[in-house]
Amino acid sequence: MSLPQFKFLRPRTVDEAVGDLAKHAAKVRILAGGTDLIPSMQQKLFEPEYVLDLRRIPGLRGIRSQANAGVEIGAATPLSEIERSSFLQGHYSVLSQAAATVASPLLRNMGTVGGNICLDTRCLWYNQSLTWRKGCGFCIKKDGDLCHVAPGGTKCWAVFSGDTPAALLCLEAEVEIVGPEGVRRMPLAQFYTGIGDNYRKLQPNELLTRVFLPTSSADYHGVYRKLRVRGSIDYPLAGVAVVMKRSNGHVVDARLAITAVNPAPMLVKAASGILAGKMVDDSLAEVVGDLAARTAKPLTTSALTPEYRREMIRVFTKRAVLAAASN
Amino acid sequence: MDNGFSIIGKPTAMVDAAYKTTGSGKYTDDLSLPGMLVGKILHSPYPHAHIKSIDTTRAEKLEGVVAVVIGKDAPNPYGILPVGHDEHALALDKVRYVGDHVACVVAVDDATADKALELIDVEYEVLPAYFDPEESMKAETHLIHDNKTHNIEKDYHHVFGDPEKGFAEADHVAEARFIANEVTHAAMEPHSTLASFELDPHTGKMGRLTVWSSTQVPYYLQHKLSLVLEMPMSQIRVIKPLVGGGFGGKSEVIPLEIIAAVAARKANAPVKITYTREEVFWAHRGRPRTIIDLKTGVRNDGRITSVKARVVQDGGAYCSYGVVTILYSGALLGALYDIPNIQYDGYRVLTNKPACGAMRGHGTVNVRFAFETQLDELAAEIDMDPAEIRQRNLLTPPCVTVNGLRVQSYGLPECIARTVERSGWKQRKGKLAKGRGLGIACSHYVSGAANSIIRSDMPHSTVNIKIDRDGGVVVYTGASEIGQGSDTMTAQIAAEALGCSLARVRVIAADTDLTPIDIGSYSSRVTFMAGNATLRAAEEVKKRIAAAAAKKMNCAADDLLFRDDVVSKRGSAPHAMKNNPGEEEETTQAGATVSGRVEGQILRGSLQQKRKDEGPKDWMTFEEAVVAAIDFHGALSGTGSYAPPQEARGGKHKGAGVGPSPAYSYAAQVAEVSVDEETGEVTVHKVWAAHDCGRALNPVSVEGQIIGSVWMGMGQALTEEMVWKDGMLMNPGLLEYRSPSSVESPEVEPIIVESIDPEGPFGAKECSEGSLAATIPAIANAIYDAVGVRLHECPFTPERVLAALRAKKNAKPLNLTEGIDPTAPVRFREHGGSLWFRGKGPQRHALDPSRREGPEPAGGAD
Repeated sequence: MSLPQFKFLRPRTVDEAVGDLAKHAAKVRILAGGTDLIPSMQQKLFEPEYVLDLRRIPGLRGIRSQANAGVEIGAATPLSEIERSSFLQGHYSVLSQAAATVASPLLRNMGTVGGNICLDTRCLWYNQSLTWRKGCGFCIKKDGDLCHVAPGGTKCWAVFSGDTPAALLCLEAEVEIVGPEGVRRMPLAQFYTGIGDNYRKLQPNELLTRVFLPTSSADYHGVYRKLRVRGSIDYPLAGVAVVMKRSNGHVVDARLAITAVNPAPMLVKAASGILAGKMVDDSLAEVVGDLAARTAKPLTTSALTPEYRREMIRVFTKRAVLAAASN
Repeated sequence: MDNGFSIIGKPTAMVDAAYKTTGSGKYTDDLSLPGMLVGKILHSPYPHAHIKSIDTTRAEKLEGVVAVVIGKDAPNPYGILPVGHDEHALALDKVRYVGDHVACVVAVDDATADKALELIDVEYEVLPAYFDPEESMKAETHLIHDNKTHNIEKDYHHVFGDPEKGFAEADHVAEARFIANEVTHAAMEPHSTLASFELDPHTGKMGRLTVWSSTQVPYYLQHKLSLVLEMPMSQIRVIKPLVGGGFGGKSEVIPLEIIAAVAARKANAPVKITYTREEVFWAHRGRPRTIIDLKTGVRNDGRITSVKARVVQDGGAYCSYGVVTILYSGALLGALYDIPNIQYDGYRVLTNKPACGAMRGHGTVNVRFAFETQLDELAAEIDMDPAEIRQRNLLTPPCVTVNGLRVQSYGLPECIARTVERSGWKQRKGKLAKGRGLGIACSHYVSGAANSIIRSDMPHSTVNIKIDRDGGVVVYTGASEIGQGSDTMTAQIAAEALGCSLARVRVIAADTDLTPIDIGSYSSRVTFMAGNATLRAAEEVKKRIAAAAAKKMNCAADDLLFRDDVVSKRGSAPHAMKNNPGEEEETTQAGATVSGRVEGQILRGSLQQKRKDEGPKDWMTFEEAVVAAIDFHGALSGTGSYAPPQEARGGKHKGAGVGPSPAYSYAAQVAEVSVDEETGEVTVHKVWAAHDCGRALNPVSVEGQIIGSVWMGMGQALTEEMVWKDGMLMNPGLLEYRSPSSVESPEVEPIIVESIDPEGPFGAKECSEGSLAATIPAIANAIYDAVGVRLHECPFTPERVLAALRAKKNAKPLNLTEGIDPTAPVRFREHGGSLWFRGKGPQRHALDPSRREGPEPAGGAD
C-alpha cells in the first residue's frame, strides 16, 4: 500500500499554517505526529492534494504553566512528553496516566496530544484498505451509503478511540482553535459532535493549536483505566477517566468521563452529582459504574463484543472510582 | 561437563547473526536488479464468483505500465500436494475468496501500479458462498471446486484397536466439543519474490529464469515453477536470501512466487512483488478453525482405554497442505501416550476463505488442546493429580503404536518430572491465592515426515562438502535457513565431525544451482535429516583425509582422532599446536577475517614445510592433513544423504503415510496464570517448559525455540484469532490481529531434556514445534485451577472467560453473539452485513471523489 501522491506544506508559523489552510481548505490534511494520518492515507481513506506538516512550528510544542492561569499545552506536544512531565504527573495525573496508555512507546514519541484529540473515529468496516472496503461495499463514513454496524441507519457510529480526551474532559480542558476569522477558545466538551463521520467541530480551514487546563482542576486525584486485549499498541476498546477531590473522606468534587464506546468521548455528568458529598464505598462505586455503562453505547465497530465492552465500562468505572478514593 | 564434543552442545551464536543485527543482511525485498519493475496484484472483492470478463486495456494504456498479467498467461494448475493441484497463479474463470488473485500489473513504480489496478475492469457473476464448514459440507450446488462433492476436500475414517470395547472398559467417559479458531503465522517478513530471465546465449531468446524468494522450500518452488511455466527444472534457479520467519507460511508455493515469474516473462524485465501485510493474511496457509468432537475413556487407575475424535477443519478455498493437516490431526493422537484404541473421523472442508495450510505444530495443535483439556477433566473426575494421570499413560519404547508410529527415544517421563519439580507443582498446586492457578499439559511432534509429500524414493536431504587447500570447509546444502538456525546447525555438525573449528566452515545454502536437493524447512525435519546428511558427507570427507593423514603418520586410519583443528594418533598429545589448549574455540565469523586467514596461511605454510622435512609425526594440523589428502586424492569433497528408514514409515492403511517420523520430540509444560473474575482477563505469569530434543546441538538455540513456541502458543491461547464476517477478514493487519506484545510475555523457563535418539545426528531430534501444542491446554488447565471454569474454545478472550464464569455462577449471561443495536433488522445482526448479499456491488459510491474525477487518461499529468 503506497501513499497517494500529495504536495507537502511545511509552514514555520501558525499564521503561515492558517494561510495555507485558507488557501487549500478542503484539499488539505494536517499532519502532526502522523501516526493516525499516514496509515489512513495508505489505506486511501484520505487522498488529499496537500499535507500540512505542523512539526516545524516551534510554538506548538511544549507544556507551560502560567501563574494562576492553569497550564497550556501546545497541540504538537508529543504524548511521551505529557506522559513524562513531572509537572503534569504532580498536578494533572489523570492526563499523564492516559497519555502513558496510548499505543506503544515508539508511537507516543511521534503522536501528539492535538492529534489524540483530533483522532479520526474508528471502525472495523472503515479502517481497512481500499481493496478491502470494495469487498464490503464501502460504508457511510467513506465512499458508501450504508452502515454495517447499525444497518438501516443513516448515522455513522464509528467510535472515538482516543485515550487522553477522557482525561481532558475530566480536567475541564479547553482548546484553542485558530482560523481565518481569528482565535477562538472552546471547552473540549463542546468540541465533539457525537456523529461518527463528522465527529469534531473543526472547520477544514481551522487549526487546533493549544490545550488549556484550568487551575481549578489541578491536584485532583485521578485514575485512567483502559480496556484492551494487549498491554501495549492497542487502541482502547473502552476507557474510563475519573478525577476526585476529597475532604475528610467525603467527596468534594468528582468527574467521570468515558471513551472508546461512543462516537465521542463523554463526560458522565450525573456521576458528579451522585458522588458529591458522599463517602465512596463499593455500593456507591457500583451505582456510578451502572450509570457509566448506561451512557456507553458500544457497537460492533471494534474487537470484542459490544455487550462485553459495556460491561467493562461498568467494572472499570467501579474500580476507577474506588482507586481514586483510596490513599 | 565434557561429553566428548568440542563444538556441539555449546551455546553458539547464529552464523548469520551479524547480518541480521547490523541490518546488512539482505532479504528478498532488499534486492534489486537493473531495469527492475514492480508487480502489484488485483484481488477479488467477492468470496465466490465467476469471472465473466477481464478488460485490461485501460490499465495497459497508463504511462508507466509495462504489462498486465492475467490467469490465461499461466493457465497450468499447481499445488503443494500432488493430490491438490487446484490453484492457479491468477484466477482463470473463478474466484474463491475475498483476496483471491485476479490480475497483476507490472509498472515502473508502486504508485503507478496501484493506479493501474483501479483501471482493470473485471466483470463478475457472484455465486452463493460457504463460510461455515459444517454448512459447507451440506452443499449440493455451486461447489467451490467442481470435483469435490459436498465441498469436502478429503475425509478419513480410521479405527485402530476396538474403540467401543475400550469405552465399555472405561470407568469414566468424557465427551465434548472443542473449537480452536483460526490463526496465522504473522511472520515478520512479508512474502517477497524477485524474478528475472536471462537471454539464452545460443538463441538470443528468453532463457534461464532466476527467482529470489522468501521461501522455506526452494526445491518445491523450482518444481512448481517448472510445471506452470513449462520449463525444465534445470532452466530455473531458485535462490533463498535471508528469510524473516516462516512458521509454515512459506512452506509451499505462494501465488506471488509464480506470478512474479510469469510477469517477468511477459514484461521481459526483472519483476519484484512484495505482499502488503493484508495480502500476507490473504495468502495465509495458517492453522484452520477446527471443530473437535472428542470422547475419551479412562479407568479409575488413570489408564486411557479409548479415544474417539471427529475433526472438522475449515480449510479455506484450496487444498494446500490440507490433506496432510487432517491426517496429522488423527495420527498424532498416537505416539504421545499409550492409547490402545483410537477412532478418528477427519473432514477437511472447503470454504470461501483463504486457504489454510501448515503452521508450526502442523495438524497436532488444535486436537492436542482438546485432548489435554479433556484428560485434565477426567483426572478431576477420578480425583487424580493431572501430572500423575499423564505419567500413568506413558509408552514403553521402543515400540510401535496402535496406529503404526514407531517410537524409539522418549523423553516424556523426564519432561513431566522436571516441569513438576521446577514449578513446585506438588507443593503449590491447588494452594495458590484465589484466582491463581497451575495447569499442566504435554505434546510432541515429528522430526520430519518419514514419507515425503512428493512420494518419491529420492533422499530427503543431500549435502555436499568441499574442503579447500587452506582447510576452509564449504558445505553445500539445500536446507533453508529461515531464522531457525539451520545454517548454524549445519556448520556445527560439519565442524564437529571433521574436528575443525567452526570459523573454518562456510555454509552455502538453498540455491538450486549450487546446492543439492533438500525438500525444505518444514515439519521440523532439517536438524534430523539435513543434519544426518551433513554428518554423512563430513564423515565421507573425513575418511579421505584420514587415509592420507594415516599414510603420512604411519598408522591406521582408524587410529586417528580429529579434534580442535588437529589430527592425531589416539593416545598422543593432541593439542600441541595450540598455545592455550584450554582456551575457547574461535567460533565467530568475525574471527576469520581475510587478513588473519592469509597471514595464518603463510605462517602455517612455512611451518608445514618445516614439519614436512622432519618426517612422520604423531599429529598434524587440520590444514596439513587436508593438504596431504588433496595431494593424495586430487580433490577433497564428499556427499551425504538421508532417507528415513523403512521401519519408520508407518502402517498400510489409507492415509498411513502421514504421521510416521524417524523420531518424535516430547514436551511437558506447567503454566501459572491468574484470572480476573470480574473482567475475564487472563494473565500468564510463568511457564515451565521442558522439551526433549534428543540432544541439544546448540542449547541457546533450543531454548530460543522453546520460548518462541510457548509465546506463539500463548498467542493462540489468549489473543490471536482471525475474525470473519461473511468471508471478509475483519482483522487483516498486525494492529487488529493481536499477537502478544512484550508486555504480555510471561517468564519462560526452558528445560532441555536429552534422550539421545539412536538415529538422530549426534542423537538430536526436533525442537521448533513440539512445544507449542502444550502451551494452549496448559493455560486452559491453569485457568480451571484458578477459577474453576473449563474453556472449550480458544482463544480464551476475556469475553469468553467472563461468559464461562457467569455461566458457572448462574449469573446474568453474557451475550457473545452479534450485538446490539436493537433497531437493526434481525438478519443484519445474524451476519455482519456485507453488501454483496444485497446485490450491491463493489463499485464505489456514485458520489465518491475517485469516481467523479473519472478514469485517469493515459499518461497522467504528473
